[in-house]
Amino acid sequence: MNGVIPIDWGWEYVWTAYGVTAVVFAAYVASVLVRYNRERRRP
Amino acid sequence: MRPSTSPLPHLFLAAGAVLLGIGSYIGLFRAPAEHYMGDVMRIMYVHVPTAWSCMLAFTYAFGCASVFLLRRRLRADAHLEAALEIGVVFCALLCFQGAVWAKPTWGVYWDWDPRLTTTAVMLVAFAGILALRSFVPDPLRRATWSSVATILAFADVPIVYFSVRWWNSLHQLQSSPETVSPLFVLPLRLNALGVLLVMTGAITLRARVAMLRLGRETAPPPLEAVRPLVRVAV
Repeated sequence: MNGVIPIDWGWEYVWTAYGVTAVVFAAYVASVLVRYNRERRRP
Repeated sequence: MRPSTSPLPHLFLAAGAVLLGIGSYIGLFRAPAEHYMGDVMRIMYVHVPTAWSCMLAFTYAFGCASVFLLRRRLRADAHLEAALEIGVVFCALLCFQGAVWAKPTWGVYWDWDPRLTTTAVMLVAFAGILALRSFVPDPLRRATWSSVATILAFADVPIVYFSVRWWNSLHQLQSSPETVSPLFVLPLRLNALGVLLVMTGAITLRARVAMLRLGRETAPPPLEAVRPLVRVAV
């Protein structure tokens, strides 16, 4: 034993990290695409 | 200034999304749990690629700032704006992922440890430059000021990277394929490539947005706006 207690729980943290990452990536890319299309259409 | 209309950034975004989907699937459901961190270690498959791409975005911003100051090309400023924005988004996400991982492993969401503190400084510094840009209407002045500020803020990036080696830090040292089990390398590499492609595609498209706006800002005023002045002059 080296004094480290293995973690055998924590899936809620994993889902939170992946969920927020997916939402941030999707929202940011969508915002860039919307701004690009809007800017291209401007006279 | 007319930006390219090539579909390459859209392809990068699509390929990045596919790689991220596959890498995350393997990381979540196929890769084994780590001996001590258990399933919480799976957060590393998104945290580490986000950290690498964040550092790369700020390094690219530093390169664009240097090019602008040397050559005075507004195209470099458009890429600077894009890299700054994406770097700040990734840096904020990085801090969030790190906090979510730290709670079950360290027992706290945040600690004023050298790596975390220097990362927070990096986030505030580059977010401040984005705020500065929004206050300056003149394109040349905006580009000059934000280039100088980016070069100054970039001094923190190598400090963030080496902080875990220079100081006694809670944060672990950088890993490499030699120090990580092969079972963990595949999802990490797939996600790293996926985030890199998403970042490249997003920077290219965001730079096009900035170029189109700069084109409007630097265009001569329309004839209707100038005509009354001409009449007065005559």
